[in-house]
Amino acid sequence: MARSGLNFELSLDPNPRMVSIVRRFVEETFEKLVGDPDAIFRISMAAHELLENGAKYAVGRRAVLRVVLEERETGASAQIAITNETTKDHVERLRTRVAEIAAAEDPFALYQTLMKRTSKIRDESGLGLARIRAEGEMALGLEVVGNTVTIVASAQVPGRPSTP
Amino acid sequence: MSNATAIQAISDLEFSAEASLHGEVLGVKLVGNADLNVKVQLDRFMAAVHDQGVALKVREVAVDLRRLEFMNSSCLKSFVWWISTVQDIVEPPYRIMFLSSPSMYWQRRSLNALACLATDLVSVQV
Repeated sequence: MARSGLNFELSLDPNPRMVSIVRRFVEETFEKLVGDPDAIFRISMAAHELLENGAKYAVGRRAVLRVVLEERETGASAQIAITNETTKDHVERLRTRVAEIAAAEDPFALYQTLMKRTSKIRDESGLGLARIRAEGEMALGLEVVGNTVTIVASAQVPGRPSTP
Repeated sequence: MSNATAIQAISDLEFSAEASLHGEVLGVKLVGNADLNVKVQLDRFMAAVHDQGVALKVREVAVDLRRLEFMNSSCLKSFVWWISTVQDIVEPPYRIMFLSSPSMYWQRRSLNALACLATDLVSVQV
């Protein structure tokens, strides 16, 4: 049976200066709830990359970060999502990139391919979502309503360390 | 030891970068938090590191990341560009070594991904 260990939303100004502050907040929160430092890195890195995606591509003044941790007997399920308005062009780019990542049989191989393909493009990373999938070992989903997009990263993580 | 003075150091709110020459090794030290706010500066810094590495005919560029708390994908991309630029040279002028800390969990996965781009050129030391 699942019980919610954590479920909150942050409504943010999608400002690059806020991204690392929020990443540290997510990291410190999960340090209290998840026993594995590597899993904490994976979750906080995903939060950082999604927030930066919002900071770079959001249209308008708000982005909403949703953080969920559901604890079960066998472990826990973490979900990080960012919702923001963006341009029609960026919606299409996101659809293409998320579909490419979701279809990849070997996420690490795709990550390497994207690194090589974009190595000489300095203006845009193009790696953030692939990093979440490959380094973060998190599944990616995309929900689109008009020009409002929600990118969802989710993974199973070890549960809270037992208390003596 | 001498400063590689043609490489302008970075000193930002949460991030710093500096380079110094140790014989045939160009040492680079990054400290703090590398995120979108320092991406442009880091791109410029890494381009200068490469130019000086070639000009000074160093054997190795050693990048000390032991006090780098986090690096985002945009800044990782600076390293991807750098590795790819060195790799494109028919006889790569120097090798790249990343010095990492086991307590910085981001480094385990991210540096492995970078090293896999050019296994004959890039090494990671823990």
